[in-house]
Amino acid sequence: MNFAYGEDQELLRSTTRRFLESTHPIDTVRIRLETPDTLDRPTWSEGTKLGWTAMLVAEEHGGGSVTDQPLVDMAALAEELGRQLYPGPVLPTNVVADAIGRAGSEDQRHEHLGPIARGESVATWCLSGDGTTDVGAVDVRLTPVGTGRVRLDGVARFVHDAHVCDLLLVTAIGDAGLSLVIVPADTSGVSSRLLRTIDLTRRFAEVRFDGVEVATAMIVGETGRAGSLVERALQIATVLQSAEAVGAAEHLLERTVQYTKDRLQFGRAIGGFQSVKHRLADLLVQLEAARAAARYAALAVADDRPDRDEAVAVAGSFVRDACAYLAGEALQIHGGIGFTWDHDVHLFVRRAKADQALYGEPSWHRERLTSIMEEREVRI
Amino acid sequence: MDVDVPPIPASYDAFRERLKAFIAAHKPTLHWKPRAGLRVPDDPEDVAALRKWVRSLHDAGFSVPVYGLGTRDPFEARIINEELGRTRIPSILGNPLVGGAIAEFGTEQQRDTYLPAIPTGAHIWTQLFSEPNAGSDLSSLTTRARLDGDRYVVNGQKVWSTWAQFADYGYLLARTGTEAGPAGITAFILDMRSPGVTARPLREMTGTTDFNEVFLDEVEIPADNVLGPVGGGWRVASRSLTQERGGLGGGGGDPIRDLVDLARQRMIGGRPAIDDSAVRQDIARLAARHRIQRYLGHSVATKAASGTITAWDAPVTKIWFSELNLELAEYALALQGPRGTLVEGEEWACDDGRWQDAFLYARAFTIAGGTNEIMRNLIGERGLGLPRQERPS
Repeated sequence: MNFAYGEDQELLRSTTRRFLESTHPIDTVRIRLETPDTLDRPTWSEGTKLGWTAMLVAEEHGGGSVTDQPLVDMAALAEELGRQLYPGPVLPTNVVADAIGRAGSEDQRHEHLGPIARGESVATWCLSGDGTTDVGAVDVRLTPVGTGRVRLDGVARFVHDAHVCDLLLVTAIGDAGLSLVIVPADTSGVSSRLLRTIDLTRRFAEVRFDGVEVATAMIVGETGRAGSLVERALQIATVLQSAEAVGAAEHLLERTVQYTKDRLQFGRAIGGFQSVKHRLADLLVQLEAARAAARYAALAVADDRPDRDEAVAVAGSFVRDACAYLAGEALQIHGGIGFTWDHDVHLFVRRAKADQALYGEPSWHRERLTSIMEEREVRI
Repeated sequence: MDVDVPPIPASYDAFRERLKAFIAAHKPTLHWKPRAGLRVPDDPEDVAALRKWVRSLHDAGFSVPVYGLGTRDPFEARIINEELGRTRIPSILGNPLVGGAIAEFGTEQQRDTYLPAIPTGAHIWTQLFSEPNAGSDLSSLTTRARLDGDRYVVNGQKVWSTWAQFADYGYLLARTGTEAGPAGITAFILDMRSPGVTARPLREMTGTTDFNEVFLDEVEIPADNVLGPVGGGWRVASRSLTQERGGLGGGGGDPIRDLVDLARQRMIGGRPAIDDSAVRQDIARLAARHRIQRYLGHSVATKAASGTITAWDAPVTKIWFSELNLELAEYALALQGPRGTLVEGEEWACDDGRWQDAFLYARAFTIAGGTNEIMRNLIGERGLGLPRQERPS
């Protein structure tokens, strides 16, 4: 048994940590808070050299992981990206890379995976019209038009960085069922509008598809049979989102503990007061639990373990709620300074709140978890 | 990254079959009903039967491996733990925690005398740490051991001593120095049959008597029975307490499946509670925490194997396990509704009151072995490096 990151994964983490701390620390995130474009292409390009978009891409297509558990490698990286509240769409790009690699045609893999791995093509995922995981919430309608072409009409919301991405993977519903369709962002009829969200560190867009026509060859896998692919995409998203959330929570707890050692009131460091100390101890317990759940989910999906679905449901049920709770408590412990715009703690609180709502709410994961406990069939 | 434990090879099937046959032939019939937790029979006849059982397990090569005793074959050890666990009959008697202390701090003679007698059931041990006025603040204990020639004379009162009413030996902490706090404390091996030792069973809120008060009145202990250095008892005890906290959790069965079964049986508004979305959300919250308890176990096992255990791993595990254990029982009672008030012996009770007993006993885990509040101090001070609690002078 070795339930910890290996040496190579630790090296991967420390490299990305050093890179982000020196070139893209939270101060940089802050500078871009009030600009629409949070995707800094030079940082993205450097990050992809560190493997941010290559782990889930096969070597023959220009990708490569550091161990034989690519998703665990990616989760290790995601913890670091979360630590620095990195704004870019690393999560959806990886989801897209995985879906194309898993079910795409030879042409699709050849055309898209290399550019994604090298950072030349930034990809994102359009899940549904209201951001939820309900099948009924998929709003983009797929209809055949003539031979070899399909048309997409509808809207997808909460699409991470759609306004600056190169490639969209669109979840669409047709008579035959769910499909995933590759749509270059500059295709005629695609338009996007930035949503004003509570999360200042990342940008989410509303993407409209008005009579967007693409070749049938852009459909990933079989038309109308993408249910299991979407399921897989949600599992990857849950694993990476959980890892990011844990990274952010870990960083915030470190900063909060330091603050309570430095901040003096009544002539003592406030961390010496039991009301504060016990609260921080509880936060460490929550963090340790969240970390164990996030890492186990990464392992279970990476190795396709028999309890894979359960592990994902556990992580989805618990990790983001725990991290959001931790962020709220961290803010309270900071007192007045934490309530100011210029202090970073609200950035963590805001991001944690958005995490709870996206890629499958915790309550949705809990419903699935109980179904698994009942040994009922779970379907998307 | 992996969490895999190598499967037990088929060549061990014969060993398992032999053990199963042994259990079927020798398993004692007890008057006492085994319950969840660290519980003690109330009938001396049962204790005699258990001693015989443990002895026979040992002689047949099936004793539970603790502190380097018993089988060294990891597959045999797993089979023994699995099969004996299933019987729900104790296969270690007394509090074996002293074994770790003797192994680490004992003299050669102490190791030779006491360690082999634990797995045979020949020696039942109890722990004599807490006092009526020294609970969370254990290092303020006042039981005094006065050196008189080649022996110590001990006076004081201890409490929360599991198995003391049947114990042969006690793992005692007493003050030998004049210093306050940890510095003047020494650990001793006490023969519980010494004149002046009185163990009085303490009936707890569960209605059972699993702990004792122990009175020590001019009790003589040979100086050879000091365990570890004189004045070094705090370090000896701290190691034992860390082992105790780390050893909690786990246990057989899946309580979540049991909750699901309860929710299937309970009807709310004409349909099974399991179909109620609020119930489903509640069960999932507990299920997630229960599975995370396993994952934390993987994490601790990994750290133990690589020697990277930290001072806060055991407290984190203890808090997680004990709070979840309580809430699982509370939720099981809530699911049973009015029936949840029925206890052992009432024919309409669910599972003969198992959950009701678990609910009442759950506080033993949140309080014993260092209260969860003390655990939070340890996490804050040792784990996070926060300023220590100031001691009023």
